[in-house]
Amino acid sequence: MNTPTLQARGLSKSFGPVRANHDISFEVEAGELLCLFGENGAGKSTLSACLTGLYPPDSGKILLNGERLRLSSAADAIRKGIGLVHQHFVLVPDFTVLENIVIGSERGAIVRYAEAEAKLRRICETYEIDIEPNALVEDLSVGEQQWAELLKALYFDAKVLILDEPTATLDIENSAKLFRIMDKLKADGVALILISHFLDEVMQADKVAVLRQGEMVGIKRTSETTPEELTRMMVGRDLKPQVREATPVGAPRLVLENVTVAGQGQVPALDSATLTVHSGEILGIAGVAGNGQNPLMEVIAGVRRAVSGRISLDGVDIGAMDARAIKDLGLGHIPDDRFIQGLVRELSIEENLILGDHRDSFARRGFLDFYKIRENATRLIKAFRISAPSPETLVRNLSGGNAQRVILAREKRLATKVLLANQPTRGLDVGVIEYIYMRLLEKRAEGVSVLIASSELEDLMNLCDRIGVLFQGRLMGIVETEKTTLEEIGLLMAGRPLEDAA
Amino acid sequence: MIEITPRSSAGWKAMLAAYVLALFLGLATSSLLILASGASVADGFGALYEGAFGSRDAIMQSLVAATPLVFTGLATVTAFRAEIWSIGQEGQMFAGAMCGYWVSLYLGGTTALIAVPVIIAAAMMGGAGLGGFCGWLKTRFQVNEIISTVMLNYIVIYLLSFLLAGGPWTAEGSTSYHQTPVLAENFRLPLLLEDVKLHIGFVLALIAAAACWIIIRKTPLGFEIRALGFNPTALRFKGVNVARTVLIVMCLSGALSALAGVSEIFGVNYRLRGDVMTGLGFTGIIVGMIGGLNPIGAVIAALLFGALANGSLYMSVLSDIPPSLVPAMQGILLLFVLGAAVLVRYRVRFGKRADV
Repeated sequence: MNTPTLQARGLSKSFGPVRANHDISFEVEAGELLCLFGENGAGKSTLSACLTGLYPPDSGKILLNGERLRLSSAADAIRKGIGLVHQHFVLVPDFTVLENIVIGSERGAIVRYAEAEAKLRRICETYEIDIEPNALVEDLSVGEQQWAELLKALYFDAKVLILDEPTATLDIENSAKLFRIMDKLKADGVALILISHFLDEVMQADKVAVLRQGEMVGIKRTSETTPEELTRMMVGRDLKPQVREATPVGAPRLVLENVTVAGQGQVPALDSATLTVHSGEILGIAGVAGNGQNPLMEVIAGVRRAVSGRISLDGVDIGAMDARAIKDLGLGHIPDDRFIQGLVRELSIEENLILGDHRDSFARRGFLDFYKIRENATRLIKAFRISAPSPETLVRNLSGGNAQRVILAREKRLATKVLLANQPTRGLDVGVIEYIYMRLLEKRAEGVSVLIASSELEDLMNLCDRIGVLFQGRLMGIVETEKTTLEEIGLLMAGRPLEDAA
Repeated sequence: MIEITPRSSAGWKAMLAAYVLALFLGLATSSLLILASGASVADGFGALYEGAFGSRDAIMQSLVAATPLVFTGLATVTAFRAEIWSIGQEGQMFAGAMCGYWVSLYLGGTTALIAVPVIIAAAMMGGAGLGGFCGWLKTRFQVNEIISTVMLNYIVIYLLSFLLAGGPWTAEGSTSYHQTPVLAENFRLPLLLEDVKLHIGFVLALIAAAACWIIIRKTPLGFEIRALGFNPTALRFKGVNVARTVLIVMCLSGALSALAGVSEIFGVNYRLRGDVMTGLGFTGIIVGMIGGLNPIGAVIAALLFGALANGSLYMSVLSDIPPSLVPAMQGILLLFVLGAAVLVRYRVRFGKRADV
């Protein structure tokens, strides 16, 4: 057998106390497709960054065609034949495709455009990529930009090509095309590494390396495994839903009927979502982040507008109301990005605790009611165990966990009827996560309807009465936690409809 | 190794020390310039001090010169606090003065008790209209406010030129001066003192500063202005109508700038003419910045700049210092003060870099 094109031997990388990668080894042969599979934060992106020279690994080594490889930068990796197709585009919008590929990567002072263009056209022809090298990147569709990104890697004759969730921005047709191109690359002897969450894609690889919490759980040939087994490996154990205390589920409270939110391309960001959350119920939304969770939460909270459909809270149509009016009906909203959407970092804790309610509960005769603001802050800081020297401490000086407690405190106070929690535990440590879940369960006991979106499947299984799964803006199905399995949800998350899973 | 790190907030002591140092260094550098011109440094600074603070009249004149700068400074503070980079103070000041004058044409012999408030209100509406227009362009069509305000400055200033250089508002027989006829007594801002031209505009300026401070610190609108400057997305997520807030801020900023025009034209010159206002709007931007985008700070900075402007006038008359050095000195002082304003936001450490 030949020497594998790329070998990783015991790669480790830590960021402070966080072990992003620990002792990771694998190999990819020429003409082979390896898939890196794992949850958010499992260490996939760090691994690809180590392989492409973005970070030096703390220990371990990388071998290219059997030779030790030391990468000083991303440009160095490209020159040595390791290409990366980014998940997020790194293209200059007002340059042409050709310029984006050539400038900054050609050596020497003079760029030979004609030669470069000819080469690029040849590549386009070989791989049937229909793109005009002289088109401005800003005039390209999102899908075409993905092709440009791919061309960038192909232009330098990559021997190893790493694709970081390349289909996230592609529709089904273009995804299929990408896989055809990948087949051709395999035939040409390129070693491919695909990073993906989608089981359908994962199963098209030759072998799958499963990562969990920075460690390699195992490598399986796809011919010798099943999607169910891979999901189980990804999550870590065979989960049994906790026995939930039966609380009487109340009347329907939050009702969505065929709610559609426009997306950036032709594909809607949220496609005809229909769901009901009863009072005293927690409905979980599972799915890989970016599959419509934000549009769903934001359209309910009044931050975005639906293009069609109906949203009602206790029978009141809230579809046309603004966020402030909806808040007044008793809705709290923990947004996806705590420091951008949820907090003003340069304001104090007490000021952040009144954000949104500053014209209502905390205003008196046209002025801010400072007595009430301070009293509210003192009470909430204590109740939610926010550790800070004073209510006047700026939020930017808080840790992520404490910052999230500020949002939780504020929104929980407002949520007398509905609480929306969008990825409320992302990036937080276990202690804070448990605390947040405890608070959400309290709300459930009070009869509040809780809608929580999370990519932590295991947590959703423990917390929720029912779980809906979003995939590419569509609600694939809503299942009762007691009657489902992790595998079933995993399959829904990867875009397989309910009938297939049975 | 010198390590420079931003610090969360500078104490008032550090700020005071930095500004005093900046003034000192600015004057020291200016003295080199005076020396190079062959004049006596002592004479020059003596005259500067004499002109700014040397007598009761000098002090009063300094306050008069500071008045419009307080207004344009406050206009800067309100806009910049919300991170709206309006450079339209100059044009809004002109627009204010022009609207005030235009209304006065219809007021005839009404008593000052009615005429002056009407003129002030009309001026503020003019400034607010111009500022609000740029705010509307920004929120409705995403027109960058820097571009729109700067361009409208030109339009308004040249509109006044047109009106005064032989246009309908030109005083008879004075086409070469580009000015209107003298304003009737009942249109002028009442004087606070009999003998000096310190007019009620100065009191209005102090009231405006207090009002700005209260709005920014104590009201829900001010809360939104502060939050808007840092993070408009969070405001939008919490249901605040960001476009409306931008519009209000731009109207407020425009109205404040307009008061600078009223104060110069109806309080000091008693004729509408462009040259006496030129630059006061732009200086207001500097005043607002040096004042740390704080209304009280802006008043202090305006008083400093008023004194400097007034004193340098005296200096150019009484000493051998060439008049052209005065704006150079102002520029040097400005550079040092701005440098200090940046410096107090950072902590400078000498020595080995700490491991992060």
